[in-house]
Amino acid sequence: MVQKHQDDGGGKKITLKINDNEYSMVIEPHWTLREVIHDKLGLTGTKEMCDKGACGSCTVIMDGRPILSCMTLAIECEGRKIETVENLEVVGNPLVEAYADNHAMQCGYCTPGFVMTAKALLDRNPDPAVEQIKDALEGNICRCGTYPAHIDAVLDAAKRLEGGKK
Amino acid sequence: MDKKKLGIMEIEPLVRDRYIQDEFNLIGKRGISRMCGKEKAGGRAEYTRDVQLPGMLYCRILPSPYAHAKIKSMNTEKAEALPGVRAVLRYDDPELADKPLYGLETKFNAGHLASDGQAFYHGKHELAVTLEQWKQGAGRVLDGVAWWEGHPVGAAVAADTPELATEALGLIEIEWEELPLVLDPLEALKPGAPLAAEEINNRNNIIRKLKVEHGDVEKGFKEADKVIKFDARRRPYTVADAEPMSDVIQWKGDNVEIWAHQQQAYDGKIIFGMKMGIPLNRIKLHVPYQGSQFGGGGNPMMHHTHGVHIISGILSKRTGRPVKTFYDRKDNFYNLSQDTDCHTSFKVGFKNDGTITSVKIDNICAKMGQYGIDHFEENTRIPNLALNYLEANINVAPAYWFRCEQNHNALCLSLVIDHVAAALGMDPVEVSLKNDGAEGRDMEYLSKFKVEHGFPDRDSLAEAIEMGKEAFDWDSKWHAPGTKMLPNGKLHGVGFTWDHEWDDTRGTACAGVLMHCDGTVDILSQKSDDGLNAMTTHCQIVAEEMGLKLADVNFRFFEEVGFQMMTPDGSCNLAVDAYCTRNAAREARQKLLEYATTPVKVLEIEYPAAFPEHHPDDLDVKDSIVYLKANPDKNVPVAEVVKRAVLNQGGTRAPLFTWNWHRQGRYGTEEGRHRLTRQAYFAEVEVDPETGGVDVKTIVNINDVGKAISPETCEGQQYGGDYMGVGRALAEEVIYDPKTGVKLNANLIDYKVFTMRDIDETVNLLLETGMGYGPYGLNGIGECIATIVPGVIGNAIYNAIGERVDDHPMTPDKVLAAIEKAKAKRGDVK
Amino acid sequence: MKPFKHYDVNTLDEAVSALQNFAGKAKIIAGGTDIVGMFKDEVFAERPEALINIKTIPNLDYIKEEDGMLKIGPLALLEDIAHDELIKGKYTALAEAARRTASPHIREMGTISGNICQQCRCWYFRSPNNRFNCIRKGGEDCYAEEGENRYHSIFGNVKDCLAVNPSDTAPALIALGAKVKTSKRVLEIADFYEKEEPKKTTVLDDDEIVVEIQVPQPAANSKSKFEKFAIRKSIDFPIVNCASQVEMDGDTVKSARVCLNAVFANPYVAQKAAEYVVGKTLDEETVTAAADLALQDAKPLTKNAYKITIAKSLIKKTLLACK
Ligand SMILES: Cc1cc2nc3c(=O)[nH]c(=O)nc-3n(C[C@@H](O)[C@@H](O)[C@H](O)COP(=O)(O)OP(=O)(O)OC[C@H]3O[C@@H](n4cnc5c(N)ncnc54)[C@H](O)[C@@H]3O)c2cc1C
Ligand code: SF4
Ligand code: FES
Ligand code: FES
Repeated sequence: MVQKHQDDGGGKKITLKINDNEYSMVIEPHWTLREVIHDKLGLTGTKEMCDKGACGSCTVIMDGRPILSCMTLAIECEGRKIETVENLEVVGNPLVEAYADNHAMQCGYCTPGFVMTAKALLDRNPDPAVEQIKDALEGNICRCGTYPAHIDAVLDAAKRLEGGKK
Repeated sequence: MDKKKLGIMEIEPLVRDRYIQDEFNLIGKRGISRMCGKEKAGGRAEYTRDVQLPGMLYCRILPSPYAHAKIKSMNTEKAEALPGVRAVLRYDDPELADKPLYGLETKFNAGHLASDGQAFYHGKHELAVTLEQWKQGAGRVLDGVAWWEGHPVGAAVAADTPELATEALGLIEIEWEELPLVLDPLEALKPGAPLAAEEINNRNNIIRKLKVEHGDVEKGFKEADKVIKFDARRRPYTVADAEPMSDVIQWKGDNVEIWAHQQQAYDGKIIFGMKMGIPLNRIKLHVPYQGSQFGGGGNPMMHHTHGVHIISGILSKRTGRPVKTFYDRKDNFYNLSQDTDCHTSFKVGFKNDGTITSVKIDNICAKMGQYGIDHFEENTRIPNLALNYLEANINVAPAYWFRCEQNHNALCLSLVIDHVAAALGMDPVEVSLKNDGAEGRDMEYLSKFKVEHGFPDRDSLAEAIEMGKEAFDWDSKWHAPGTKMLPNGKLHGVGFTWDHEWDDTRGTACAGVLMHCDGTVDILSQKSDDGLNAMTTHCQIVAEEMGLKLADVNFRFFEEVGFQMMTPDGSCNLAVDAYCTRNAAREARQKLLEYATTPVKVLEIEYPAAFPEHHPDDLDVKDSIVYLKANPDKNVPVAEVVKRAVLNQGGTRAPLFTWNWHRQGRYGTEEGRHRLTRQAYFAEVEVDPETGGVDVKTIVNINDVGKAISPETCEGQQYGGDYMGVGRALAEEVIYDPKTGVKLNANLIDYKVFTMRDIDETVNLLLETGMGYGPYGLNGIGECIATIVPGVIGNAIYNAIGERVDDHPMTPDKVLAAIEKAKAKRGDVK
Repeated sequence: MKPFKHYDVNTLDEAVSALQNFAGKAKIIAGGTDIVGMFKDEVFAERPEALINIKTIPNLDYIKEEDGMLKIGPLALLEDIAHDELIKGKYTALAEAARRTASPHIREMGTISGNICQQCRCWYFRSPNNRFNCIRKGGEDCYAEEGENRYHSIFGNVKDCLAVNPSDTAPALIALGAKVKTSKRVLEIADFYEKEEPKKTTVLDDDEIVVEIQVPQPAANSKSKFEKFAIRKSIDFPIVNCASQVEMDGDTVKSARVCLNAVFANPYVAQKAAEYVVGKTLDEETVTAAADLALQDAKPLTKNAYKITIAKSLIKKTLLACK
């Protein structure tokens, strides 16, 4: 525990738990989680589109919630459980394949953000209705307008998850 | 204008595909997974923004805080002294003196002032400036003069981190001379208006004038039963593409490597090489995945592409380190193109049965050509047409193609048809069918043309309308304008519009097909992937033509391999490029069968042929197996056939390699070529009469794509275009402060790109008449939907309210004003 | 972003003393969805030197009914408020307002205290690097007055500033009669907003922290409703929003509270509308008259008269929904 009086308000060495890996590094207060994940750790699936909290491209899952890494200060993430899109194929989550099979992307730049938002939804609700999928994904911007295909992809992934259980 | 002087190439006849198979294994099939899909969804796809090289520096360019200003003096000492800053490039650096932002030496014309697609249209064309001024186009890389707020001028800084580069920009001290500015094209054309850019035109703000005349409009008005007049306006909207601009350049001795975020990246390389004096064979180009472009993001000669390359290049050379020049979201708004601000006046004459006799359009546009008359010329039988076009320069961000340069043409056609229908109390569908045609001629003529040129003789618009009417239930939903209120208190409206399909099929492309010794194939060509599924579709074509399994073909288009394909792929992915892959694949298949039937002898060893007794014509290939047509049981896997036809050092046969080059038409200017395919749109809206809010309930679009190679990919363009189009209709607008010209909504909070929630339902149907000019009778589908949809939404809003809102975007203030007007007309008490 | 200092605190007292140490030069960071954006764009009248992170204080995200009221911890997330069954059932307008705020992701990060304390979104004010040194930044001019004011105030200015308060939850809390408990005092939420000094949004002192939101239990025969008008159905800030709470006595209104937002520097209590409906039945005619009365004092700018029509509509819709 860092004692308050020792804290000079500047950068400090903290440990980030990302996808079952621990990264100990000195983090400056003004670094966003997205910068750390993408620029410093090279996990480039976490994309920057708007850089202002308005598009969802930089979504990661933190302690079960889909959050915007561009609006999160990395220094505040000590000890939190963070999952990025790169983890999905590692753990064999069916979303990635369901997205490819359902053509739920065009240029693909926004796609990891959608996929992580959908992952957070399925973690909470493995059998979502169409309206619930819309509720979850309505804050993600896709300039290519791929929206309808996301619904198919998430429903498909939910089905595959169910299949996996049996 | 002297075409020779400008180096315009001669117009060539358009190629079209007369050989269309009926049976396919892969082409047109559903359920084929997107080949780039897992990479993209799994976050492994690399975009230019993601490229990081050891020792890489980050570079930022200074955006002008003023919409029109000159740098009087600049002090960069403090920025240079900041630890971690490795180089500062100043606008007065001698190396920049000869770096204008045009590429006339290549196939391009001048900067943002003109669009390649527009400059050669029919009609009397007159530049209002000298050719020299016109060529000067967009000014110079890192200039000392700013023509719009955010113009990249003055200085660029390369530093160890992005933050340091940004901090250093803030330390640059500049003494500016602010100049008077003009922001409205109508104001700009008034005598005495401030000059938007005296470097381009020092007399006034006119850039171009154009007149088009067909027939005799005055005579047409006399023949009409009715004549109406109305005005319309479109405000600028912008690309707001997904991936903010960046490039990376690494100078290594005599060689240079570029990682580009560009649609026409190879053209960007040519311009870069020419400007920097580097032979093209010393530049290696990488084109990673591209986070959408839509035309406006990819123009190789604008500052955000060409300028960025020059700056990264110079700074890399000077520092000996790779340099990534990057834009933040705001810079992106400043420099990517926007669609233009247009004021248009219409005069239309027509008969009581809906036959239009005469259309006259007066159009004033800012910055870039958006004429308005073209689609009347191209797909109506209206005999008398006139356009008076004026293009004005103003102090706002550049305008250029943006999905696409037909935006204004499409809206003008849509408006005229709907206004005429309203004036006659007719169903707009009827009026559309009455006027469908080509270059002033009717459907009978077009029918003859199709037959003579070997096309199927189908009536694309009639078929599209029939499909759409049924899917939409048009006949029961359509009602007279302003007459239906729903139980939820909202005004119900339906709209229709139509146009031709963008079968421009233009440009050149080349590609190779190379088979490895295990029988798998690489398609060789470089291409910029903007999301049109080029990877899968070209593999489908090659696999289909060669008889291979889809899994045996791959297309990694990121690296330079000697061949280049056309991009923007929205217009050209398959319509042009697929001729190359298809033709090369056909030739490769032939070679494969020759290998299967001829033995090879090396010294004393003879390797027998797989089918020694047979001729290639006896053989066929399916699922990567070569077999005897007469006896399919006699078969040999492709991998076995080419085992020794290899690239490696133990090979005994030449590599199985073919290549093809294809040139296709030119921007619709070809003689004797008519647009044959059509698209039709139906939309249903609910308008809240109290708030002016518009809910888009359904859009049904029917696109005659000629032939769909990948139906899911076509549908992606359809619903994708619907969302962009509805956004343009209702919300997308670049908003400038009227005094300073500062862009007020240069962020994705205030610039409103539509979300999943903003359309209730889209129904996307494909019509496949085989009447496209591309291979297999296909034509492009990427650009047209977002271009047409604003029109159909406007028509549906009119149908709901009973008053027009012909000022796009149709924001609640304008919708409410129209509702008030309708109430006043009906005599409702306010 | 440019550097700033950042402190994690473990208790509210520590937070207060940290704020005091910086004597006005430090700010609280809760979810960060507003304040981080301001650092990114460098848009401050006075740039804070430090951020005091209160997310390290345990147990400040509660939602509970206690002492006859709903108590919400300052770090309660908007997403949790939106989906809380208790709030959805009894304090409906608040759940609806939270649900309609921003986007799902912002709601998963944004807190209730951050929502009611957030800075205005005037695009001149937010123009990066303080491009416009306007009144709210201590300058002389309001650029919106003759500029692009389509989203600005329709009820006049505060010391010539025409910006509007963009919060979605504030009007709901006002309609529900909530109080804001701070580290120093308990305030009626309607008095929480600064009425004199445009450089400030709330009346909070530099070292004062919101520690709880308290909402009285609604009377038995009451209902509340929130409506928002925005161009997009998600992500967008309100062009106008409105919340009403009505207590009925049989067929007639016993008491009512109506609050608009995004129409004035502070949430705008539509007192005249609320008074008008008392003793009347809630029909089309009554609510129309109430809405007209409420907007009687409107002073539209060059480009925003349409907001008056929308505000009227939202007053009508929320009142009718409370029937
Ligand atoms: C894209 C986007 C869209 C948005 N749309 C909407 C919308 O539609 N409606 C809406 O209402 N909002 C919207 N917002 C604003 C959004 O930031 C808030 O809704 C959110 O609730 C703020 O909470 P926060 O915890 O993130 O605040 P923070 O950013 O942490 O804080 C905001 C302000 O409150 C102060 N503060 C926070 N907590 C306390 C406390 N306990 N005591 C004293 N001061 C405190 C901070 O110092 C800061 O000045 C949007 C934001 C974005 C980025
Ligand atoms: S409205 Fe207020 S914040 Fe906006 S420019 Fe005017 S003074 Fe500044
Ligand atoms: S980049 Fe984070 S929300 Fe857009
Ligand atoms: S797929 Fe291109 S932005 Fe979404």
